[in-house]
Amino acid sequence: MSAMLLNKEKWPDFIGKLTGKKIWAPSGDGEELRFAPVAEGETPQLAFNNTRVPPKNILFPQTETMYRFQLGDLEMEIPQLDKETIILGLRPCDARAISIVEKLFRWDVDDPYYLKRRELVTLVGLACNEPGLNCFCTSVGGGPASTEGLDLLMVDLGDKYLLETITPKGDALVDTVKELLEEADEASQKLKEAAVNEAGEKISRTVDTENVAQGLPELWEDPLWQKVSASCLGCGTCTYLCPTCHCFDIQDETEAFEARRCRMWDSCMFEEYTLHTSGHNPRPTRRERTRNRINHKYSYYVDKFDVIACVGCGRCINLCPVNIDIVEILRQVKEAL
Amino acid sequence: MTANNPYVPYTATVEDTWYETGGDRCIKTFKVVFDDQSVRQSWSHKPGQCAMIGVLGIGESMISISCSPTEGNFLRFSVMKMGKVTQALHQLEAGDKMMVRGPYGNSFPVDEWQGKKILTIGGGVGQAPLRPIIEYVKANREKYAGLTMIYGARTSGDLCFKSEFDEMNKCEDLSCHLTIDIEEEGWDHNVGFVPQMLLDLEPSPENTIVITCGPPIMIRFVLENLKKLGFEDEQIYTTLENRMKCGIGKCGRCNAGGMYVCKDGPVFSYAVLKEIPEAFA
Amino acid sequence: MDLEQLRKTAAEVVTREDVKYLVGWKKGSYGYRVAPVFVEDAAGAAELLFSPLCTANLATYLTLVEKKPLPRGQEEDKRKVALFVKGCDSRAVTQLIVEHGIRRDQVVIIGCPCPGVIDTAKLAEKFPETEAPAEVQWDGENFILLNNGEAVKLPREEVIAEKCRFCRYPNPVISDILLGDKVEVREPEEDSGVEEIENKSIEERWDYWENHFSHCVRCYSCRNVCPLCYCQDCILDRLNPTWVNRAVNFSENTAFNLARAFHLAGRCIECGECERVCPANIPLGKLNRKMAREVRDKYGFEPGVDPEAEPFQASFKPDDPDDFIL
Repeated sequence: MSAMLLNKEKWPDFIGKLTGKKIWAPSGDGEELRFAPVAEGETPQLAFNNTRVPPKNILFPQTETMYRFQLGDLEMEIPQLDKETIILGLRPCDARAISIVEKLFRWDVDDPYYLKRRELVTLVGLACNEPGLNCFCTSVGGGPASTEGLDLLMVDLGDKYLLETITPKGDALVDTVKELLEEADEASQKLKEAAVNEAGEKISRTVDTENVAQGLPELWEDPLWQKVSASCLGCGTCTYLCPTCHCFDIQDETEAFEARRCRMWDSCMFEEYTLHTSGHNPRPTRRERTRNRINHKYSYYVDKFDVIACVGCGRCINLCPVNIDIVEILRQVKEAL
Repeated sequence: MTANNPYVPYTATVEDTWYETGGDRCIKTFKVVFDDQSVRQSWSHKPGQCAMIGVLGIGESMISISCSPTEGNFLRFSVMKMGKVTQALHQLEAGDKMMVRGPYGNSFPVDEWQGKKILTIGGGVGQAPLRPIIEYVKANREKYAGLTMIYGARTSGDLCFKSEFDEMNKCEDLSCHLTIDIEEEGWDHNVGFVPQMLLDLEPSPENTIVITCGPPIMIRFVLENLKKLGFEDEQIYTTLENRMKCGIGKCGRCNAGGMYVCKDGPVFSYAVLKEIPEAFA
Repeated sequence: MDLEQLRKTAAEVVTREDVKYLVGWKKGSYGYRVAPVFVEDAAGAAELLFSPLCTANLATYLTLVEKKPLPRGQEEDKRKVALFVKGCDSRAVTQLIVEHGIRRDQVVIIGCPCPGVIDTAKLAEKFPETEAPAEVQWDGENFILLNNGEAVKLPREEVIAEKCRFCRYPNPVISDILLGDKVEVREPEEDSGVEEIENKSIEERWDYWENHFSHCVRCYSCRNVCPLCYCQDCILDRLNPTWVNRAVNFSENTAFNLARAFHLAGRCIECGECERVCPANIPLGKLNRKMAREVRDKYGFEPGVDPEAEPFQASFKPDDPDDFIL
């Protein structure tokens, strides 16, 4: 664990030194940012709020080939994952989400694809100086400078970045660029604390999660579920943009004689998510599906893994086409309890 | 095929296959053996568990393993033809290949049940998940206090495993009660619905475990009648099913409440189930 | 638009015996949001509003009804649904009637003549959203934003939604009740916003759409929000046979988006919702408006205007001059 300083002027050199690995950083203009691979010679800029699509698609690609085969043949070819990767500039909420989802992918049986990618990736986070309007990370166990899940945390101190290593991977990364860095002094630490506290205070939305995990099952038949889901369109926006959502579908897809079994993101809000071949659907309407989603994030996941499967990033609130607001739903849940 | 990758199935060959029932939604039984000797030797499963079986290029389905491990180094699956994958499975004949991975799920707590009487109540294709426990008890007779089987279907053509029943009635501690919904020529067993037959037989709840599988409506009335006969929630077991994709608790879809059917189930006792409203959806 | 009048009318309609519920707009949970709300009694009607932030097309809820199997003895509630519509939204209702997606006697249409709605993204660039839900009003050629007690004037040009530039029907084309005065019909911009793309070369167009469709996440928001995408069993979801693979990549995404545009040709009423809801900011409005313009120019047909019209591409007469149905 060490703390170093990087002068922002040296940022392009910093990037230049990280050769040999695939770097993902936020890119794009305007509002619609996403994590994209950094091209050779390119220098990513880190001034932004948060990306539309969380970096979960780097560890858990939206479409991933599990194995290929030829039709009529039984030889299965499993793709090899071996590229060392760095995700640069992810927010602490997204990093926390990675460690939350990892618990499920390690539960009882290891998911080889996710865990291999996780092993190959180094997570370099960027603390939040300015929270978003709908951020509520502090209500669900996170914070603007939370280090959970990260290997290295960067804090923007104006003209410098403070780099705090958290894991051996972080140490190793800092090692490769140490000529560019200076020791962090107490003044910088104080600056960091001030920035982080200020950011924490600016977070205006809060969610009271006390007893919610235990209480949610009691509200199974409560009329609030019909009210909050009435205007839901049943699209997949909230689930696809959620850093902790991890549901997927498995499909065999063929093209002429080549075929592959791949997995792709799926959404519990889609009608056919639990549709049985017989035509029976245990969650026939959006009311049941909304109820299931909230229960899964705030109750079932807590029972199994002791953590709320929501990091308060606010993407679902920002992008729901009909303004279904999870903070509002939880407020109603708390009221009903 | 690596053992480390839980998504990669093993290849198996269909040794034998036959139809149990006819009609549009016919049921076909497959007896399969793994191609790889080491897999065949190292495979072990318990009654109640399921496996993902399928055809490469079409997909997979989670089907209960309807044989007991005591029967030999093979697997049996009884599949009803319903959709894309099961249709493709139905086209397999002896000698064809089937992809299998598993075993998944929990199993009937056979060790806990030692010394007890076992009562199975099945309806239609629901007998398939019950068959392994029946065969297991038959093979381990001294450990249990007897086995009673109640099995019904709409018509005699809809009954599965017909050839196996006569043998059961010849033994003192095993009995088999069949019923069909409507009168049929040539049928000299009971006629009537399964829940009613249960009431008529009046089994004593003492030292008995009940396992029931079948269409939801049958389960509903069977549960009602079991309560009338004095059975406690802890004595009643059933299996749940749900749409499944990964089989290992990762894809998120098969949950009934906080329980994943592929991992925490498919075997559930009624004492657990009654706390999960979604289980009865 | 008199808010009092609006709420009073809504309360009257929703308390009618033959009306099941009413769909309207209410203040959102923050910033510039306005949320669709289902009102079942007069108390709920007190929350309703109509402002330049009411971009949502409520007609989509007419066909988004899910029918859960009813308990024995319970009859289906077949009463009417009331809803608020702007000009463009009312065209959706008309088109649904033409296609027999809904019956005219199943809806009570409360029409709101609309001078144009705001693109909240453009507005947020000038005045960042705050936690408190904001209020915006119409004022002639401008919008008024009530920001921290101050009334800020916003010129129409700067914040108007793209689709409103091409609007030909600001007044509802069908309604049972009309709230407020009719709005003057402006001259719509002729090119439907697609000339920029039409002027590109084929390679440039390919690059343009490749860039956008590669970022599609197949959330299906565009399809679900569209009032005219209401097939119970969407062909783009089917697996038996699989027309579009579930895999998300440029090829499948293009197939999905183009197929949807084709299925909407002659049916799309250009409400612009698809574009508004897309999380990847894909300019779907341009795609669908292009199709609409083609139909208008080549066939002289506009969907959603005449409830007695025959559906475009879905009607045939024995004396058709072409001897082949397609």
